[in-house]
Amino acid sequence: MGSKRGRTGQYGWVTSPSAPVVTTGYPWPIETTRLANGLRVVVSEDRSSPVVCVNLWYDVGSRHEPAGQTGFAHLFEHLMFEGSVHVKKTEHMRLVQGNGGSLNATTNPDRTNYFETMPSEHLELALWLEADRMGGLVPALTQETLDNQREVVKNERRQRYENVPYGDAWLRLLELLYPEGHPYHHATIGSMEDLNAASLDTFKAFHQQYYAPNNCVLTVVGDAEPQEVYALAEKYFGALAPVPDIPPAPRGHIAGPATTPVRETVTAAVPAARLYVSHRTHPFGTKGYDAITVLATVLGNGRGSRLYQRLADGKRIAQPDYIGSYGVDLAHAPAPIIITATAKDGVAVADLEAGLAEVVDSLVTEPVTEEELGRAKAMLTTAWWRSLSTVGGRADTLGRYATQFGDPATVAYRLPQWLAITADEVTEAAAYALKPESRVTLTYLPEETESKEERA
Amino acid sequence: MTLVANRPAAGPARPYAFPEIRRVSVAGGTVIAAHLPGQLLASSMLMLDAGAAHESAGREGTATVLAKSLEEGTRTRDSAAYALALEGLGAELSAAVDWDSFRVGVSAPVPLLLSAVRLAAEAARTPRLDPEDVTRVRDDEVTALRMDWAQPGPRADAALRADLFEAADRYGRPLHGDPASVAAVTVDDVVAYHGAWLTTPGVLLVAGDLDTLDLAALGEAAFAGTTGAGVAGGGPLGWVKRERRRVLLVDRPGSVQSTLRIGHRAPERATPDYVPMTLAATVLGGAFTSRLNHLIREVRGYTYGIRGSYAMTRRFGRFEVAAGVQTAVTVPAITDTIGEIARTQLDGVTEDELAVARSWRAGQLSVEMQTPGAIVGALSTLVLHDLPDDYYPTLRREYLAATVEQVSRAAADHLHPKGLTLVVEGHAAVIRDELAAAGIGELVDAEI
Repeated sequence: MGSKRGRTGQYGWVTSPSAPVVTTGYPWPIETTRLANGLRVVVSEDRSSPVVCVNLWYDVGSRHEPAGQTGFAHLFEHLMFEGSVHVKKTEHMRLVQGNGGSLNATTNPDRTNYFETMPSEHLELALWLEADRMGGLVPALTQETLDNQREVVKNERRQRYENVPYGDAWLRLLELLYPEGHPYHHATIGSMEDLNAASLDTFKAFHQQYYAPNNCVLTVVGDAEPQEVYALAEKYFGALAPVPDIPPAPRGHIAGPATTPVRETVTAAVPAARLYVSHRTHPFGTKGYDAITVLATVLGNGRGSRLYQRLADGKRIAQPDYIGSYGVDLAHAPAPIIITATAKDGVAVADLEAGLAEVVDSLVTEPVTEEELGRAKAMLTTAWWRSLSTVGGRADTLGRYATQFGDPATVAYRLPQWLAITADEVTEAAAYALKPESRVTLTYLPEETESKEERA
Repeated sequence: MTLVANRPAAGPARPYAFPEIRRVSVAGGTVIAAHLPGQLLASSMLMLDAGAAHESAGREGTATVLAKSLEEGTRTRDSAAYALALEGLGAELSAAVDWDSFRVGVSAPVPLLLSAVRLAAEAARTPRLDPEDVTRVRDDEVTALRMDWAQPGPRADAALRADLFEAADRYGRPLHGDPASVAAVTVDDVVAYHGAWLTTPGVLLVAGDLDTLDLAALGEAAFAGTTGAGVAGGGPLGWVKRERRRVLLVDRPGSVQSTLRIGHRAPERATPDYVPMTLAATVLGGAFTSRLNHLIREVRGYTYGIRGSYAMTRRFGRFEVAAGVQTAVTVPAITDTIGEIARTQLDGVTEDELAVARSWRAGQLSVEMQTPGAIVGALSTLVLHDLPDDYYPTLRREYLAATVEQVSRAAADHLHPKGLTLVVEGHAAVIRDELAAAGIGELVDAEI
């Protein structure tokens, strides 16, 4: 940190600087402890700003939901903001924002996280609020709150998935990628029918089952000292009882790539034909998935990527603003890579699909050059540091590595592991994961509009 | 009981400080930099007096087409070589236009920022602008706008803007143009816009570890070969407070939500009421516990979220509420929204509500200003609105000192519930009759 690399004495700066050599992806301190009730506490001190982030990863996500209860983990996340034993309804938000903080929570297939970044004098308040809803939510939960938040979540579903063109692509892809009964088969937002059927008792039971200190990682990053955080964690969380025998999520084991291609074509109110091509790859956190991460960047991240160069530029059959590829970082089963392109005016979707397949297949037949690999690694490096440039980003990343890999310090390896991926490993990853026979192809076609018929 | 019942008090607060600001004049331009010791990334932004307000009538979107053409190759390398050079540094260019300025931003690991700024300047100052490329970018932008306008929101935004400003005025047209105006943009328009507005030095904003960044070299890279000076866009636009409400219906057949855009004109950014107006809007529609979000989301369950705020530029301001509400409750959601705006205008704010708004706005000046990108954004506000280097500490003090009387007065003066324009983008066949019968205001079908 803060080294003067590149300095050339009185002559100022070298004119062709090279990227700094990366030996660790996490050059801040990490301290950890575990309370007697099983709560893991992670602290990463950084005094450069007078702010602190408190982040909790609960090891429960939509993958834990049984049939008939889809969307419950996420609806539950909403209920966590609606009051607990010592915190009145709406008071949680008021106390965080009213003390200068930013807060949110998210649910995904793997986990649920809650976080607030506060001016650091309010660290203790944030811990008190989190402890109160970890240990004291159930007595405060009312039918009125459940009914209200169920409506809010339905509106969220309308706004994010139903009322926007292509908005349901992710919901459809999951069903095509993972078989019925697999914990990733259904989307986190869940079905309206299941949400309607949800009873108050089910949610109380959900909390008692999963919102336990021994199913959680508490991470504090920023303007706070580890021993102080440990003492406060003990004070507020220490007396909460652990829950024995928390049932594991349904088994996510599934072979990596599928062996039969699947396709679905949707005719909908969309402005242009669009393709989503997806494959199951490796679980996040494995060396195989690191290669997929680099591969996705070579293939579809940025104007220098193969997809952009060959389809947006090059053949000019894809819209430049809507082309790309990325991995979805799921850790409990082979994670998907998603590759997407949208047809330019007058381009037949079959031609776009053929073009897309040609570029995807080129990863096997045309070795990735050193220039392509260097570009991808440079972009991943910047993205990594950007994700860690806030205390909130660091806290969430540490919570992830503690929860998913058992040790927050393993965070330091990810960036060096990306940077160690070779061109051959990218080719191997493509040959393994991107075979035509393992491909899911989701196609959106525009409806024939009235105006077009009138013109015809 | 295993829980601690008493809410803890705050610990001692550390004093607020905005990062140290340094200025360097070099090569005809000015570098304004904020020192972030230890940051691994650095951010920069070339800011030019080249906002979309300079565009010609009927050619709105010219500056956006120019912004998107900058990466189509420069005088010294083609687009593929440019992309590889820039992305090889781990950097990406962001060229964007707003009403007041044209911004070319780039961020990179600290040791690579100078190379990234050189490339950004190469694109901004010496783009190739090959006629074939510009034509293709223009056509792609028409398509991209059509894609965007297929989402709920952009058509409602355009309808509101056209109503609040003169539809014939540049400010009455969408910031990035519409599909028709962009289709009319010519290669000559784009080349002329570049020649007129992107060849002056402008200001280079930098945020990063200044112990390892050479500001003079960064400035020389950004300002090389430039001449002249920028031209600011003129004084505040005049406007008249309205006395009647209008409802504009934008049809979106089959929509499961109605997209609401509700607003009126307001003073420009230089208004002395900026702080109390911001706090009044925070109480009404800014914080999660705001009056609007509390009633319409948390009590009624009509929406996933509703927000209200003032948006202010150099020449105009406006108040706006935005939400998506379930189709079946469109009218009650609008009635409730008008009710909260009217109540706030009439009765002002309470001390409890204001306490939340004050502390939130003050705290956000630390919490939301951690990254080099956020600090560059903060510097751009200083430059755009001619604010002093100690502006953020002053702003923080003013937020914390604002009284109920000041904020209630601002709400009384700058909210106009009887002069609102209410744009409703939704399934017209389902909601029109109820909207017309609700007595909110004259109902007009928007042609958009």
